[in-house]
Parts: sequence; structure tokens; C-alpha cells
Amino acid sequence: QDRTITGTVGGSDGASIPGVTVLVKGTKLGTSTDADGKFSLTAPATATALVFSYVGYATQEVAIGNRTSFNVSLVTDTKSLEEVVVVGYGTQSRRDLTGNVATITGKEIATAPVQSFDQALQGRAPGVNITTPNGVLNNPPVIRIRGVNSINLSSTPLIVIDGIPTFTGNTSALGSVPNNPLSNLNPADIESMEVLKDASATAIYGSRAAGGVILVTTKKGKKGQSHVSYDTWAGWSKPVKLYDVMNAQQYVDLKNEAVRNLNANRRAIGAAATNVEGFKLADANGNAADTRWYDYIYRTGFSQSHNLNFSGGTDKTSFYSSVGYTTQKGMIVNNEFKRVSARLNVDHKVFKNFTVGMRVAYSSTMNSSPNTGSVGDNSFGSAGLGRVPILLPPNLAAYNPDGSPNVSGTSIGPGPNLNPANGLPFVIGFINPVVDIKNNKFTSDGAQIEGSVYADWELLKGLNLRTTYGVNNLSFEDKAFYTSLAGSLTPTGEADNYYRTNKRWNWQNTLQYDHTFGENHNVSLLVGNEQQNTDVQRWGASRTGVADDFFTTFQGNYTNIASSGQFQGTNYLVSFFGRVNYNYAHKYLATVNVRRDGYSAFAKKYGNFYGASLGYVVSEEEFWKKSSFGSVFSTLKLTGSYGVVGNNQGINDFVALSTYTSGLYAANPTLYYSNAGNTNLTWETSKKTDVGFAFGFLQDRLRGNFAYYENLVDGLILDVPQAPSKGIPNNSISANVGSMRNTGVEMDVSYNVFQDKAFSWTVSGNLTTLKNRVLTLATEGQRISTGTGGLEFPNYTQVGNSVGEILAVQSLGVNPDNGQRMIRKADGTVVQYNHLGTNPGSLGTPGWTTLDGKPAFAPTPLADGVYYGPVLPTWYGGFDNTFRYKNIDLGLFVQFSGGNYIYNGTKSGLHDQRFWNNEVDILDHWTDNSRTAKWPRVVYGDNVSNGSALVMSSNVEKGDFARLRQVSLGYSFGQTLLSRVNVASARLYVQVQNALLFTKYSGIDPEISTNGTSGVNAGANIGAGVDRNSVGQARTYTVGFNIGF
Amino acid sequence: CQTDKLSPVPVTLFSDKVVFDTPARVELQANGMYSYVKVGTFLGGRFQIFNDIRAEEFLNRASNLVTGTAVWNHTLYEGSQNDVINTWGAGYAAINQINVFLTGLDANAAKFVPPIFPADYANKVKNYRGEAQFLRALCYYSLLQLYARPYADGNGGKLGLPLRLRGEVDDTGNDLARSSVAEVYTQILTDLDAAEGNLPLTNGASLFTNTTRAHRNTAIALKTRVYLSMGRYADVIREANKLVPATAPFVASSGVANGLNSSVVTVFTQENTESILSSPFTTADGPGTQNQLAYYYLPPGSTNGVPNGGNGEYGLNTAAGGILASPAFAATDARRTNFVQVVGGESFLKKYPNGSNTSTPYVDKAPIIRYAEVMLNLAEARVRSTNSVDPQALLLLNAVRTRSNPTGAYTTFASAADMLTAMLLERRIEFLGEGLRNIDIMRLLVPIPGKGSVSAVNPTDLLYVWPIPASELSTNKLMVRN
Repeated sequence: QDRTITGTVGGSDGASIPGVTVLVKGTKLGTSTDADGKFSLTAPATATALVFSYVGYATQEVAIGNRTSFNVSLVTDTKSLEEVVVVGYGTQSRRDLTGNVATITGKEIATAPVQSFDQALQGRAPGVNITTPNGVLNNPPVIRIRGVNSINLSSTPLIVIDGIPTFTGNTSALGSVPNNPLSNLNPADIESMEVLKDASATAIYGSRAAGGVILVTTKKGKKGQSHVSYDTWAGWSKPVKLYDVMNAQQYVDLKNEAVRNLNANRRAIGAAATNVEGFKLADANGNAADTRWYDYIYRTGFSQSHNLNFSGGTDKTSFYSSVGYTTQKGMIVNNEFKRVSARLNVDHKVFKNFTVGMRVAYSSTMNSSPNTGSVGDNSFGSAGLGRVPILLPPNLAAYNPDGSPNVSGTSIGPGPNLNPANGLPFVIGFINPVVDIKNNKFTSDGAQIEGSVYADWELLKGLNLRTTYGVNNLSFEDKAFYTSLAGSLTPTGEADNYYRTNKRWNWQNTLQYDHTFGENHNVSLLVGNEQQNTDVQRWGASRTGVADDFFTTFQGNYTNIASSGQFQGTNYLVSFFGRVNYNYAHKYLATVNVRRDGYSAFAKKYGNFYGASLGYVVSEEEFWKKSSFGSVFSTLKLTGSYGVVGNNQGINDFVALSTYTSGLYAANPTLYYSNAGNTNLTWETSKKTDVGFAFGFLQDRLRGNFAYYENLVDGLILDVPQAPSKGIPNNSISANVGSMRNTGVEMDVSYNVFQDKAFSWTVSGNLTTLKNRVLTLATEGQRISTGTGGLEFPNYTQVGNSVGEILAVQSLGVNPDNGQRMIRKADGTVVQYNHLGTNPGSLGTPGWTTLDGKPAFAPTPLADGVYYGPVLPTWYGGFDNTFRYKNIDLGLFVQFSGGNYIYNGTKSGLHDQRFWNNEVDILDHWTDNSRTAKWPRVVYGDNVSNGSALVMSSNVEKGDFARLRQVSLGYSFGQTLLSRVNVASARLYVQVQNALLFTKYSGIDPEISTNGTSGVNAGANIGAGVDRNSVGQARTYTVGFNIGF
Repeated sequence: CQTDKLSPVPVTLFSDKVVFDTPARVELQANGMYSYVKVGTFLGGRFQIFNDIRAEEFLNRASNLVTGTAVWNHTLYEGSQNDVINTWGAGYAAINQINVFLTGLDANAAKFVPPIFPADYANKVKNYRGEAQFLRALCYYSLLQLYARPYADGNGGKLGLPLRLRGEVDDTGNDLARSSVAEVYTQILTDLDAAEGNLPLTNGASLFTNTTRAHRNTAIALKTRVYLSMGRYADVIREANKLVPATAPFVASSGVANGLNSSVVTVFTQENTESILSSPFTTADGPGTQNQLAYYYLPPGSTNGVPNGGNGEYGLNTAAGGILASPAFAATDARRTNFVQVVGGESFLKKYPNGSNTSTPYVDKAPIIRYAEVMLNLAEARVRSTNSVDPQALLLLNAVRTRSNPTGAYTTFASAADMLTAMLLERRIEFLGEGLRNIDIMRLLVPIPGKGSVSAVNPTDLLYVWPIPASELSTNKLMVRN
């Protein structure tokens, strides 16, 4: 027989709590408390107990017995406060933490259709800025914690997987196909990721911590639970946006108009005007084409992923094991990623006080990508598939009428076009992409075994001696094959193979002592030693002159072979470190970390690093707890830290030595001076200051953190430029000279807006600001330029500015009188450019005049350029909304960033007046009849007015954007149904990755970073904000299913 | 802690302390100097290309700034990377390798004793020193042709180059002012005179070694070019006479038997004694991407399904003003029938036949100086110094000319001026695509002719010579722009 049960729910302070879920145990029957904390429900006679649950409070179970009325008092859930945070060489309770550590759970990224977990961290944590530089699969993202923290060394954080530092960054020997060592870790195996940001948190990693540290912890089995789960998803990827380029008719009309204008220019100065209007729609045989080259290059790529894991545990042993398989095809033809992975994590208690365990994972990856010109230093390459479809004339056909590719030698065939210079068939010297796509192949196949074994002996209660030995062995086999067929750039064919091994061992010994003295003096001590040795080798060769088209691999027969890509390096790090954590009654907190590191690459080997922090949990004070606001303002913790950490990440193993290298003079070996060493070279240091507070309101329904940070990077290792006339190798000597500062604030908030049995809504968000300033460089007034593809230099780093700001001449637009591009020079004079239209003699540069027609010298960025603000976002963050209604959940995740400038070099190429195709907005160009136009008068061959030959402000744009990075809609199957089939949980979801993009940026994608594709080089640090012919990110639709037993 | 691991010794790099420890390593370093001079961005390709495409014989087809379009149409500026900055950098990188080697020879003299070194090693050191001096002179001379006003403009009084003569291995001595053009030429001649004394008469019997390593005749040959550039004709004659006999056969009487080859074609396809110095390449040691002569000049596309092997960056200028249109260049001339290829109505230079379609792509030697030039240098100097239709000069001119055009011998000339015109035409025909055109324009201080839609550049124009690169201006406080 049913009975009605009523009651009131309040907190330990006596105040009533609305919205508490009240369930009859073992059923779906239930309700939630009203605004006064009252509830009423009808329970069957069989009901034995009620379960009260609410966020921030411990779930309470109350036996019903014979009672019908209940007055329940919920206690604050100390578990959420006792959340354990992984820190260097240990763990700590978040409540006692004084360092700045952000945690991202594995769950948050588990369903993202990515290749490596780091790609999914975008916008997830304050202080962490992640850029996806292009849309090629498995290109490592650019990760910056609190800004760029080096110029020549790596600014990538140290990534530590289960205690063992791992390899990061693209190491592919091929410029077309990237690899990312982090993609060897199956994201589904990750339990949590902690981002260590300030000196207190990072100092324990001493010399490797300047760029921050990300600790990745993989899953382990839990005692008493046997668990099997299977997660899968399938996805479809497409380009989000492509350029709208001219069709054949528009192309022919525009280019002939440009030739006409060129002849007019020549005639005006009395020169021969014999250029031919040779652009035609059809050839002599009437063959015409209107080719959309994108159609040959983009596709809908299909991906799938499967993960199966088993875990469980007894009193003595717990284990987690998994296998994973994913195969992902990108939106670009031939772009593919595959991974097969397996993991076994075991912990076993041998004796009461002696535990051993292991973490071991094996994975095999395959990366395949065509040459997109987006990955390596190939942004201007004539075979880059990012550039080719926007540049190739649309009136050329991909195939001849007989079905063969339209080619002439190495180039695409002339089609109907005649060269304006001489009226002969116009072979343009760019590839026909269909030949490349069909026959050429670029792959990077990886294999990795990484893991560790440990033994932990509890000598006394609270005193643990632990030793951990880890290995990380990684190999990549990089292969390229270029066909000898016509239309390829290599008429004789070529195959290049490279094999790389990274071998690392790491041995850590720590002694940890935790003890509470008296009642309130909690002390934790750690001392330790770590050694790490890394050997990297690569060897390879390039074979040319394929014996027959039959061969498509390196092992076939070729007439020539040349050594290629040889590398052999080694480095060793030895460290001694210690940490003291002290707190009084979890109220007054203090932490001190010290570390001494010796590193092989430096001339002065050793460096000392430290970090210290204090914390004060105000809300633990009795006065606070008793105060009227204490019940609302439930948590307040103040923290502050300062310390000095170092950087050796990415430094060349032998940079401090003066060395000679052996090469070739034709068939004879040589020996030449190759590096000017520096016997004073030592660590870069980063002085980090952090002050902040953590707060919680309404029993921590609203929680958040705020911090102000300052990183002062000192002793930056810069390539001190030497006058090129000195002829020093690389024109530079490395020295500890520069300094730079990053400051900003970061905050995050999570709010449980609403929660009842049927509906809940949580919001969380984070925001970071960044101000980067270069304080000193190697020499007074130095400007360090960064090249894009070695050809264009838009980025300059100068004291007083943010790193790598865009330096461009100031364009004043189009002169309405004559259609010429106007540029303001440094002295204030305005000059204009008329291609091949003036003979200035000794008074200027051809084409350039003042507005009144007098010869003028060409403006140059170095003399006349203006800086256009930072290329690093000055604000960025993420905003996550999760809704649940009954069994349905909806997630909306927005990532945003801005305050930065982008040099849109692609845009200059898209308006170049050589034979290149143009974006359709070129139709809005100056003519006699249309004098207020967006683009200058078109003159054939003009590559100046559009910016190809001169970095100009009309191609500099703001990079603000907000992206709906992930939308997901899920359905969780009901418990009743599931328990009937012995299933613990099941969820079906659909998801869109990169669903919407809000930006005023005119290019494909404001995140494109053509120079930001390598983890370790100056280009990645001080060459950001350049968009040059790279492919943008894809939009991916996925359907997924998770089931657990 | 394993302290030895903190100071690992690289296994692929040599410490600077050990590179003079054995005769073999010193020999490797000698090769190292040459490898720097002959890089594709300097005298292995681009230097020759830039000196040709500045002038009127070639038409740019690819509009590619990477392959010299701005050199061709005179739109270079201080920041131009692939030409202005890179050529300067490559030239001075070679100079410093040479200087470091010379410094090392002195600093390590105590090591050059038995038993590791042979007893007569001092003589070998003398030869090495001669090679270094020769190469340094060649580098400075080459850089002068692009970055400084010609000697003829004010007798060398204009700004030349910073003269770097010591091995640079540290961060001192960064700032150095430009010496005058005359001062740089003086240093070049000092080096060449010293080299003549130090170099061996021959480098053994190998033709390959004698065209890729300097010997006494190499230094003498370069001196004829240097003196010609300075307008010191009597000195040209004095030096050239050391190599060129008064009458045929034209073969040097001492040292390597450098002489006029019977066929102009095989000068570029076989080992020969006419090539006095060339930059050699192998498939394992190529000129590098977009530096190869064949890549620039061979036609693109294919003929009868066989790729033509080049990228056709530059075609030959067939319009009036180009040498192909000159009546002096006969249709039957071996230099036209062998070296000019017409594809689709366009003419291309085929002097460097190993294009990308051959089994050994881009291994053509890049010519630096050959015997025919010494002959024509001598001939021109004789005419200019005597201002007459010099009979020996006529003999020399006809020797070069009739080798390729047997019926084209000049009988005589109405005036010395006519003869000089014919000689300059002959140089354009003979050395087409070998990097001498700009040098010949500069030494005579005449306009750089226009071509296509590109106007001529007058000697008074700013861009008559290249700008000093921004990379130097921004790091060397004493540097002065052009």
C-alpha cells in the first residue's frame, strides 16, 4: 500500500535547501524540495529508504521504517573539497593546494573526434591557449601556458604521462605529413590532466618548467568494481569555408584587362606595348574548361573510433586495460590517421607496506597526408594543396579530352592560354594536382612503447620510499614517393625514407613523509632524485631516377641515392629536488619547492630553481564560519607564489660547443666550421609570480578561481646576430641575453544554475588575458625577423612590443584618380605604384611615384613599416553549458579568443596580377568608370599593389573570433531498461565539432598559423599570426555510443 | 649521477680542437672552402644566373621572386631575400671559412711535424694557403660585381665592401666599414699574386681535380679578368701572356695544359682543359632547389613525351637587342645549333644539359672561368691598350669564333671601335648563360639594356648596382647603404 511521505531538508546551519533530489531507494520514484526545502511524495509499501542528494552535499540515505515525516539535515560534501590533484611526484588535496593547477578530466575530452588529447584542450582551462594551426590531421597544436615563454627554445609545456616526461612536437622528416608523439596516447585512457602554471606548482620540474607542465594521469582500476566499457563514434569531416575564386569567364576577362593596362603603361612611357591578350576560354580545337580546383582536393572524410576497456580490483590488485582503434580520414584527399593502441595499468600490494605496479602502453600510428603547404616550411611551394586550388587558372582542365591528365613536362599544360610576353602557349610551371594526388604519397608511421614500473615501500607510517623507472621509446618511419609521370615535379621519380628513434629512460627515487603533529600541524616532505637520458637518431636517404614506374617504394630500383636527414643527438639531465608542504589546520598553508638540475647541452651545466607559496583559507576561520555571510560565501582561499624555473626544452644538444661538420665537395668529403660555441651558455630562467584566490558560494554551487600572474623570462637564449659579412655559421652565436615578460589575469567559474530530478543546467567558463612585452634583446634596437617559408618576413620582434608583431607598410587604399595603390612612407610622403609604368632613373624605383608623379623610392617594411599590435591573443577562453532533461543531455562549448592581429598573406596571393586566379572580390577593382574600388587598377604582372612583394596593412586584419567548438546531444538509456539486460550505463550521442565560427576575419580561419606548426623553433614562438596558403580546420559531425557493463 | 653523461662528445661533429690533427683532416678542410664557394646560392649557380638575367639576353617566364624576377626587372630592395641577402651571406660565409682555415694553418703550425705529418708538409701548407688566397680573391671579386659601383666609376673611389681578413669565431669585431672599391681590388690582387706563388703548378694528372681545385694557371686566369674589370689593360696582357701563346695552338706552356678545346660542346659535357675552374656537382651533392643552371634555362614541358628537363624560368630573348637577333650569331654557329633549343616557338638555352629528366639531374658543372675567356680578355686588352686593329687580337678572336662558326672568321675591321664591338658581341655569344654579361657591362660603365617590358638601367641609376642587404645594415653599425 502506498503512503505519503513529507519532510523538510536543511543544511547543517539549519537553513532550508531548495532543489534537493529525494528518491525512493531502488526506484525511479522521487521529487525535489521546493523553495522552502519541503517535499512530499508517495512511496510504495515496499519502500525501505529515501535517498537525498544535492550538489555540494554528501548524499544521505535515511531508512523509512514507520515514519511518514522527515526532517533531514545534509552536510557539506567534503569530498568535493577533498578533490585530489596530481602534482609533480605526488598528489595533493585541492583544499591544501597553494600552487596554480587547473584540472581537466578525461571525460571532458573523451568524445572529441581528435587524433591527440592536446587538440581537445582548447578553451578548457584558464591560462592555457591552444591553437590549431591548420586542418591537416594530427598536426600538433600550439600550446601556450600563460603566453610565449621563450624565443628560441620551446614554449611548449613539459608533458608528463604518469610521471614520465614524454616527447612532443612534430618530428616528421617530411614537410608534408606531420606527426605528433602525443597521438600515441589513446585519449580514452586518460583519467585527468592537470596544468601546472605558477612557480609553486612547476618548480619541482625545475629546468623544464618555464612553459608550464601538463601532467597526464591514465586510468586505473578501482577496488571491488569490475567494469567493462565500449565507446565508439563515427564522424564525417568537411571544410567549413573555402575561398570564392573567379570562374573561367571572369578569369579570362580580368587577366586580358590587366594585359591591356600593362600595354597602356608601356605606351605611356614610350616603350614597346606588345604584350598579348592571351587568356582564352577555349583552345583552337574548341576545348574549354571551367574548373573548380577545390573539387579535386577536398572531400567528406569518414572517421571511426572504437575503445574497449576492462578494469577491476581486489584488496590486493587493481588493473585497467584497454585496446583502442581509430581510423580517421580528413577533408583533404589522402589525409588519414590511424592508431591501434593497448594499455595495461596494474597496481599490486605485495605486502601490507609494499606495493608495486606498472603502467605500460603500446601504440602504432599511421599518418598520411598530401603536400598541403601547411605543415612544414612549404607555404609557398608550387605543389601545396592549400595554395594550388586558389592559384590555378580555372580555364585549364584537369584532364585532356582523352582522359589523360593535362600536363606539359613537370607543369600543368598550357590549355588555351598564351603567354602575354610572347604570345606562345603558356606553360605556367605549377603542378596539375590530380597527378600529385593520384601518384605521390607521404606517410609517417609511428610506434611507441612507453611506461614505467614502480615499487613503493612504506618504511614507517607516513614515510614512503618510492622508485620508478620509466621508458619512452618512439620510432617514426617517414616515407615520400614522387612519381616520374609527367606533371610531377620530379621527372625521374624519387623516393625518400627516414627512420627516427627517440629513446628515453627516466629513473626517479623519492622519499615522502606525511605526518600530522599535534592536532593541526600537517607536514608533508619530499626529497628526490631524477635522471633522464635521451638519445635521438635519424637516418635516411633520397633515391632518384626510378628504374620503372612499376616501383612506388624506396626499396625499388633507382639510379641515384643521396644521404638525407642524418641526425644523432644525446642529452642527459640529472636532478635533486625537495618539497615541503605545511599547513596549520588546513587554514594556513605553505609550500616550498627546490630543485637543482644539471643538463648536458649547456656549458655551465647546473642551475638552481625554486618556488615558494603561501595560502590562507579564510573560510576555515571560526569567525567566518559563524558569520552571517559565511553560509552563503562558503569558501575563500587566498594564495600567492613566487619562484624561478628554467628552460632547456628544445635546445640543440651540442650548441655550446665550437664544432666542425663534414660535408661534400662533389665526390670529396669536406670539413668545415659549423657552429660558433659559447662557453658561457646556460639555462633560460623564468621568474613566475602568482597571486589569486579561490571562492565558493552557496555551499559551492558557484565556484571559481582568480589569479594574476607575471612571468619574467630572463637570460633568453638568443641567436645573437652577427653581421653577415663576418660569415659566422648561421650568422649568429647563441647567448643568454634577452628578457621578456608575460602578465595577465585568469579566472574560471562554474555554476550549478539549476538542478532537480528532471532538469539540470551547469555553466562553466574561463577567461585569460595576456600582455607580452619583450624587454631586452641581444643588441640595442635589434629587430628579429621571422620568415614565412623563408620568403616573406611579416613578423618582427622588438623591445617594447609583443613578440613577432606584424610590421607592414601603411596602405592608404586606392587612389581614385588613377587606381594606384597608395602607401604612406615613414617621412609622411605618400607614394603610389604603377606597375612597369615609370622610368625613374636615379631618383626612384620603377613604378613608384609621389602623388604628383615624381619618381620615388619604393617603401620598405623596415624603413616605413608600422607595427600592428600583438599576434598572440590578448584574451581567450572557453564557455561551457551543459543541460540535462531527464535522459537527454545537451552540451554547448564555445571557445573564444581575440585582441590579436593576423597577416593575411593568402589574401595578397588571391589578388596577385600574375597569371594567378583571384578571389571574386577582385571584380571590384579600379577602372575609369569605377573609381571608388576596393582593389587597384589591374596591371598584368603586378605583384606589388596586392601585397605579394610588400607586406602591407591592407592585408593585416584583426583575429577576434568565437567558435562553437562542440555541440553535443546525448540520450542515456534508463536504468530500468539497462538493469534488465545487465548493462550499467549506455549513452547515444550526436555531436558537431567546429559547428559555427563568428569572426570578422576575411580568411578561411582566424586560427591558421602558418609558422606555428613546429613545437621547437623560433617560428612557432615569434612567427604567429601569419596566414599563408594553409588549409583551415574541418567541421566534423559525429555519432557516438558508450556502453558500460 | 653519471657525470660523464653531462658532457657528451658528439659523434658526428668535430671539436674545433682536433681539425688540424692529421693531414687528412686538413685536406678535408681545403675541400670545405671550395664547397662554400660553390654553393648553389653563390658560384654554384645563382651568381652566374643573376649576372646574366640582369641584362638583356633572357626573358623571365615564371614571375617568381624566388628565382630572380626582381633581379631581372630591377625591383630589388634591401630586404630581397633570395638574391640581395642570400648572395651576400653566401659570399661572406665562404670568405670566413677561408679566413678561419688560414688562421688555423698558422695557429696549428706546430702540429705539422712528423710522424703524423710528412716532413715536407710545409710545401703542402703553402699550396693550401695559395688555394685559400685564390678563393678569397674570387669571392671578393664576385661580390664587388653586384654590391659596389664599378671600378670605372671614379677609379675605384666609390664605396666597396667590408674587408674581412681574419677568421671570425666569436662575437667581437661585428662592425666594420666598407673599404673603397680600389682597396678591395688591391686586396684581391695581393691575394692573387700571393696565390700564384703559393699554388702548385698542377694538381696531378686528373682533369677533374685540375678544374675543381686551383693551380697556378687558375690564379693567373682570374687576374686577367680582375685587371680587365679595372681597365688595367697592360696588366691583363702581362698576365694573359703567361697562359696564351702568340700563335695557335692556344695552350698554356706551363702548369696545367689549359687550352682552347676543339669543340665548344664538350666543354660543357666532358672533362677538358679549357675549363680552368668550375663548380662541380654530384647527385649526392647537388646545387640545391632552384639554384640549378639547368633548372633555370632548360625548357619546361616535354618533347615527344620526354620531359625537357628544366623549369624554363628564363627563355632567351629573341627580340632585337638580344644576342639571338644579332647578325654576328650565325644560324649555323655550333653555339646556336647546340645551345639554343626552340620549344613551342620559344628559344631556350641548352648549355647545361643535365636537367631533371636525366639519370644524373643537375650535375652540370657551373663554369667560373675558362681559357676562351682569357684569350678574349687578352684580345680586348690589346685592342684597348693600342687602340688599333691589333693582329694578335684578331687571331685570338677568330680562334674562339671559328671553332664554332668555321666560316665566320673576321678578316679585318675598319676601326678599333668596330673591332671592340665585335669582340663584345663574341663574348655575349660565347659566354651566354655563364655569368659574364653583367661583369662586362659593369666594367665598361654602360647602361644595362632593357628587355621585354623592362626598361634599361643607366649607370647613374640607383639600381645600377644591388642594394646592400638589410641583414648587414641592421647588424653592422658602420655599414653604409648603396
